[in-house]
Amino acid sequence: MTTRRHLLRAALAAGTLAPWATLSLGADAPAGNGKRFVFVILRGGMDGLSAAPVTGDPAFAEARGALGQFSVPPLPLQGPFALHPLLPQLHAMYGRGEAAVLHAVGLPYRERSHFDAQQVLESGGTRPHELTTGWLGRALAGAAGGAPLRAVALETAVPLVLRGPTAVDTWAPSVLPEPTADLVARLSTLYRNDPALAQALARARGLREDPEMSGLAGMASGAGGMTGGGGGRGQAVALARKAAEFLQKGAQVAVLDLGGWDSHANQAAPQGAMSNNLRTLDATLAALREGLTAPEAGGAWARTVVLVATEFGREVAMNGTQGTDHGSGGVAFVLGGAVRGGRVLADWPGLARHERHEGRDLRVTTDLRAALRPLLADHLGVSRVALDKSVLPGSASIRPLDLLV
Amino acid sequence: MTRTPYPPSPDQAAALAAHRFGLGEPSLQGVGGDASGWLLAQIGPAEPQRGQDLAQGVEAVRRYAAFVQLQRASAASAQAMAPGDAAMRPEQAPGIEPLRQAVQADVRARLVTAALSTQPFNERLALFWANHFTVSLAKGSTRGVVGAYEREAIRPHIAGSFDQLLQAAVTHAGMLRYLDNDQSAGPRSAVVQRQARRNRDAGERPPRITGLNENLAREVLELHTLGVAGGGTAYGGWGGYTQADVTEFARVLTGWRVPLAAAMFSAADGSAKDSASRFDPAWHDPGPKTVLGRRYEAGPEALPALLSDLARHPSTARFLSVKLARHFVADTPPPALVARLEGAYLQSGGQLPALYRALLDSPEAWLPQPAKLKTPEEFVISSVRLLGLGAQAFERAPDGGITTLGQRVQGAPSPAGWPDMAEEWLGPDAVWKRVEWATRVADRVGRRVDARDLARASLGPLLGDDTARQIERAADGPQAVALLLLAPEFQRR
Repeated sequence: MTTRRHLLRAALAAGTLAPWATLSLGADAPAGNGKRFVFVILRGGMDGLSAAPVTGDPAFAEARGALGQFSVPPLPLQGPFALHPLLPQLHAMYGRGEAAVLHAVGLPYRERSHFDAQQVLESGGTRPHELTTGWLGRALAGAAGGAPLRAVALETAVPLVLRGPTAVDTWAPSVLPEPTADLVARLSTLYRNDPALAQALARARGLREDPEMSGLAGMASGAGGMTGGGGGRGQAVALARKAAEFLQKGAQVAVLDLGGWDSHANQAAPQGAMSNNLRTLDATLAALREGLTAPEAGGAWARTVVLVATEFGREVAMNGTQGTDHGSGGVAFVLGGAVRGGRVLADWPGLARHERHEGRDLRVTTDLRAALRPLLADHLGVSRVALDKSVLPGSASIRPLDLLV
Repeated sequence: MTRTPYPPSPDQAAALAAHRFGLGEPSLQGVGGDASGWLLAQIGPAEPQRGQDLAQGVEAVRRYAAFVQLQRASAASAQAMAPGDAAMRPEQAPGIEPLRQAVQADVRARLVTAALSTQPFNERLALFWANHFTVSLAKGSTRGVVGAYEREAIRPHIAGSFDQLLQAAVTHAGMLRYLDNDQSAGPRSAVVQRQARRNRDAGERPPRITGLNENLAREVLELHTLGVAGGGTAYGGWGGYTQADVTEFARVLTGWRVPLAAAMFSAADGSAKDSASRFDPAWHDPGPKTVLGRRYEAGPEALPALLSDLARHPSTARFLSVKLARHFVADTPPPALVARLEGAYLQSGGQLPALYRALLDSPEAWLPQPAKLKTPEEFVISSVRLLGLGAQAFERAPDGGITTLGQRVQGAPSPAGWPDMAEEWLGPDAVWKRVEWATRVADRVGRRVDARDLARASLGPLLGDDTARQIERAADGPQAVALLLLAPEFQRR
């Protein structure tokens, strides 16, 4: 590791640098040769068998009951698989070879608690609370090239998946006026003895003082009607657009958060939560693509991978309230110009009762880390050693999926 | 690390009582020389919320039902006119206005009550339990009911037994709606059998209501009582339930519903007075159930009996103790403190005042260094109290801007409620938003408030030299106020 990296790390830790200003240097190109990575977390446990119904499996209709019926035909994928009719833009990406669907995928965790499963999803551990930082947070410093990757989460606080030794940015739209530089300077002095507050303030300050970022539209102005409550398609799409902007202006990694997938009741209601979430997901992914294929993006999409994952899938059979209870195996999406798409990757376990986990859930036949490993190693250039030792410990024996172009 | 002296000096104790255990005070005079006494004297049922036209659960349920009916009627006519996928935005829905006003009134009442309370420690306890037993606006069907839920199920029960609080929370219409028990039916219940018979006879599609929903059962075990199975290892572990227990518990819960018909709101089997929820035997799964090795006969008595057993469970004692200690003392509370709270809970038979007293008697709770980062809601409430802004602070924006800081009031994203650890609230943008908020507020009041006096009077010995100096040297009044609000001594408690 170079002395330069030591210095950068120390400076970042002390929060005394405007991070962008020092990292954006010609000689030390941002890690990964311009590669971009977006992680979209779906919180609540998205029902994989609804998002990607397996209509060609003879057991599907009976296993799913009313949830296996669609008023509009699902969009065909390869083999017995299909996409929910409310994901047309994702389907179009699939058709263009830019999106792959991973099915019967899941975490090494089976207890069906949102809290613990999300902890495993974000920390990259094999058990809840085994690791207290995030796999992506730990990967930032281990990527190819000299400097750590620059990451931004499109929310106010830092999500677990991005927590780690490398400082990251967060951003959410604001309706309040900017504070004066003078106040911020005095505050920085005041936070000398509170490292957590100091670092957060320094980071936010650095983001706004970065000359590259000054063109970032709507930095200070309100983006209209934001409630911060994590709801609303408009807000999600706006955040996706903003993520694309950040990725154009020098961030290599972005994290988006879509919640509300915990569909215990009335899952198939056409104007219900699940349907709206699918519409929002489709619009969000399309907005990301649009932002990264725009002329000013300089061909970033071709070098981008987006991973969409959730903490668990849901029970195969419908429950008593036209919804589904927590399950195990589910679906993940991998999309982007750098992805070898147009395929479904699944070791299909079957839907008959004896083929389900504990007789109720879709069995997990592919560990999600089989996708994380190649994306981190081959797309972001994280070394094998770093992967095995710190980024995804305990995953060395997992065979990586073939996801990239 | 230096050993800190215990007990703290009277001045230190007063400051800690005001800020760590209370909601912040502009002056420590009101606390007086007996800080513990000031706190203990506040323990009791939470005071009635301040506000007008605050709905009861029954009214709230009726209002939501009216809204749903209006939506359905207009959706039907809209479809007749323009078939297609016209996804109406919730804000545009007809009949939304009364509902929106009710939600705003609830949010405002919660915050104004906290801002003006003369029993701020008790208010903190009410807010803590409301978060522990989260019912959130994030779900549509609870719109307008969350305030009533807090007023009826939580606030009156914060100073009795945990059992009582648990019963009230689980059986309230708000909770039954939020976690889908409203539609959960026993697979062999009369309602399901009737429906199945009807469908068989008519040869129709499968029935709408077919059976169990596990959501409430799982979350009562995982989030409200025993804690997640396999969790809490740092404190000796909690949990102790299996998937089978979740399913059996769901069977016990069947029948506890929120009927919409006004006629059903009169007292009936299993329903509390003035309650929007009641026990409907037709939805209840017949036969005995076994949860955690105990057998419960069918009927409305099963749930109260099971909840009492859960309230007495050692895992519950441990889980609640960690949560309480984490809320007041430290993100990772010392095991010795937790063990002491556990003991007090179990020895008293699950009495909450005993738990609170044990907390206030613990040296770990009185360490002078403020460790806990305030949540956005706590930050705003304590700022309003510090500056004496009163109810006016929530006049135009009922949430006082808390949502822009990253926390939707009464709208936690999941049944787990809002997290109580600094790392969940920290982030560059989170801190920046606090700076923006403080600037806006300070600009408004900065010229009529002397931040130097206020800092001394409010923080007392908690005020550090660096902060005092910065405030002293501020460019102007507003800047001084902003620095006070953003100082580590005020951002933490």
